[in-house]
Amino acid sequence: MEQLQLRDLEARCIQEEQPFCTAACPIHVDVRAFMTSLAQGDLRGARRVLDRTMPFPEIVGRLCDQPCRPFCKRGEIGDPLAIGRLEQFCVSNTPTILKLPQLPAKGGKVVVIGAGLSGMTAALDLARKGRPTTLVSPLPSIGGSLRCSPDSVLPQTVWSQAVVLMEGYGVSLCTSAPLDQESIEALIGSHDAVYFDWDEIDPAQVPLRVGTPDPLTLALDRDGCFGGGGSRPGRGYSVIQQVEQGRRAALSIERALQKVSLTAQRDKEGSCATRMVTVTKYFAPAAEILPADPTSGYTAAEVRSEAGRCLRCECMECVKQCVYLREYKEYPKTLIRKIYNNQAIVQGTRNANKMINACSLCGQCTQICPNDFPVASVVRTTRQGMVASHHMPPSPHDFALEDMRFSLSKLCRLSRHQPGTSGSRYLFYPGCQLAGSAPEAVKRSYAFLSQHLQGGVGLMLGCCGIPAHWAGQEELFRQTLDDLILEVRRMGNPTLITACTSCLAVFKEFAGGLAMTSLWELLDGLQLPTPSLIQPPGPLTLHDPCTARHQNELRRSVRNLCAKLGLDIVENECSNELADCCGYGGLMQMANPPLGRKAATVKAERSLLDGLAYCAMCRDNLAATGRPVAHLLDYLFPQTAGGDPLARANPGFSQRHENRARLKADLLASLWQEHAAPVPEYKKIRLILSQEVEDLLNGRHILAEDLQRVIHRAETTGSYLVNPANQHRLACFKPVRVTYWVEYEPTGRGYRIHTGYSHRMQLPEVKP
Amino acid sequence: MSTFSFLEATAWQCNQCHQPLQAAKVMVTYLGGSFNVELMACAGCGFILVPESLAMGKMLAVEQLLEDK
Repeated sequence: MEQLQLRDLEARCIQEEQPFCTAACPIHVDVRAFMTSLAQGDLRGARRVLDRTMPFPEIVGRLCDQPCRPFCKRGEIGDPLAIGRLEQFCVSNTPTILKLPQLPAKGGKVVVIGAGLSGMTAALDLARKGRPTTLVSPLPSIGGSLRCSPDSVLPQTVWSQAVVLMEGYGVSLCTSAPLDQESIEALIGSHDAVYFDWDEIDPAQVPLRVGTPDPLTLALDRDGCFGGGGSRPGRGYSVIQQVEQGRRAALSIERALQKVSLTAQRDKEGSCATRMVTVTKYFAPAAEILPADPTSGYTAAEVRSEAGRCLRCECMECVKQCVYLREYKEYPKTLIRKIYNNQAIVQGTRNANKMINACSLCGQCTQICPNDFPVASVVRTTRQGMVASHHMPPSPHDFALEDMRFSLSKLCRLSRHQPGTSGSRYLFYPGCQLAGSAPEAVKRSYAFLSQHLQGGVGLMLGCCGIPAHWAGQEELFRQTLDDLILEVRRMGNPTLITACTSCLAVFKEFAGGLAMTSLWELLDGLQLPTPSLIQPPGPLTLHDPCTARHQNELRRSVRNLCAKLGLDIVENECSNELADCCGYGGLMQMANPPLGRKAATVKAERSLLDGLAYCAMCRDNLAATGRPVAHLLDYLFPQTAGGDPLARANPGFSQRHENRARLKADLLASLWQEHAAPVPEYKKIRLILSQEVEDLLNGRHILAEDLQRVIHRAETTGSYLVNPANQHRLACFKPVRVTYWVEYEPTGRGYRIHTGYSHRMQLPEVKP
Repeated sequence: MSTFSFLEATAWQCNQCHQPLQAAKVMVTYLGGSFNVELMACAGCGFILVPESLAMGKMLAVEQLLEDK
């Protein structure tokens, strides 16, 4: 990822956009932070927020005409917040908390003519920037038209406070100044920049043609002269606009004195638009809290309640749904920043590796994002880069890639035309996980398709290569897919019928030349087998797999099939294109197993109802959370002696291997009268495992065949340790990269396994 | 290079050499990193014992550290 690309991507995430109130506020007061402090009863914290942005909080906080209020999101579900009244309470009950720093004195003499609020603001801002500033007023005191405010609204003490504040920053005050064209001309001549506050100064008085000042810079026709403030035609007098104009002019003057562009990058000044999106459906409506006693105003408790209605507008729409973003406490903008920094590390620890490998690449966030933020494609590209630069850690993906190699090995791989035919119009491709999870369902589906489709239905067992694609191993992925494409061509280009939505998504994206359909769409067009005798006890929620997100027709067919089977289906909050990943996608559960389990739990708990899946991996992962979940094929082609489809356990990794190999052997024998490749000697070793040990080994990604290999080697060479106290044996074996250890005990019925573990650290070779 | 010791009394004995295990200095390696460690091993055939606690504890932690380098 290049830095430019990073910036482009960052800009697509709107989480850090200004909330609606702040964007609408001409001086961008952080209203959200102000409300947060007030709601916590932290009045000083709230005042600090105002002090940071407001030039004269005692004045502005009491008089602000709240142009932000119509933009308050709370207005959609109740009344907008009473921001003005809350500001009044805050400034009336707190002293100044934050005194902004003053920059070191610089040159450039400035005079502000007219001491209304805009002139006062300009003078204060410029003095803070280190510019020697004089504030001149023809009147005996400052304040302009605000001096007429009744004492009940604006206590007279605020003016002396304002004078003290300005003088503290070095503003020279000059009141009751005789101002005529001549004296003003003299002031212009003796200063580097001038600001006229039209609240106090009549444009007709000044010795230059005023016209309409440039709205962006407030520059007048003469160099170094600026003007603003006062009433605006048609809009009247707005307190907060006085502040905005004074501040805008001060920035223009500062830029003019620095001799830099007056106009560059000023689009966010003043009220501006925001790209923020806040969905209000998660909040309960709430009406405005009015002061119980209108004359004395809010009580402290009322302030907390009213401020507590603030929605604290933010986006976080993707984070609300995504277990991965929540786990790592990121939103897309911060996530890709971490990814970028991680890949930029030359020497040192790449702390974000695990995070990068834990994303399920499911695309749910992109679907939700108003700007389609492409987290999955960024993460996948990053993984590919890590593989290419040899920075991809081996452990997160090794197990899944070995699993893929096993599915592609001659023990599991198969392609045949329908028995008795020499060509195939169709080719059933159940996918590695259905073969591993429910081999009987594969057999029955194939039998049905063979009977009901004309032109020959071939069968292909294998793997589409998606684990390699997820792991960033593009070369391996391409090779796997190319081999598959070649094999399909060799079989005469039949139409692939996929049972797995991941396979179909891969073929659609990377093997567009193949003819393909999904098992579900195909079955939807056929006369179904006689209605199933097995019916679930109640309605089921349908768990769409994440890889069906963009396969609308397929999802519709699944629903049609359910209707035809008489299954009562209830959609859940993350159905269809919003589907969660079950934890297998992107190899999440390999890189971060606890997170994988969390993802499965979140998906399973989207509904309280029992579940129905049509992805084998979803089925097994959701079942592993303890929720009753069936596979659609369990109802389409029920096993006569099969148990309750909702109660089928997760087979685990070892059984999946076993199922795949046995499926091939069974089908070869029963349909094609062929014998499968001879089973290796070590596979004949009988293992005895308690459930506890089996779960432990599953969690450690140690397969039954790993145990068999260790024991086979130990028993044939005699190279093992023995514990004389209990006669347990301990042996190890390193088939490829991982060294497996097994503590076992020979019994008459086989080898009882006590524990198994592994490491990648390599020991010196020992000759047995 | 310093040596890390993971010696602990063990009941395991070598099946082939019929003798208790003894301390042995060995070099373990992973992804370009190598470490001198003391482990229990058979003095006869050199069979090195990696106990479960070590494999799933310290050794795993070091492996993961090296993987993120």
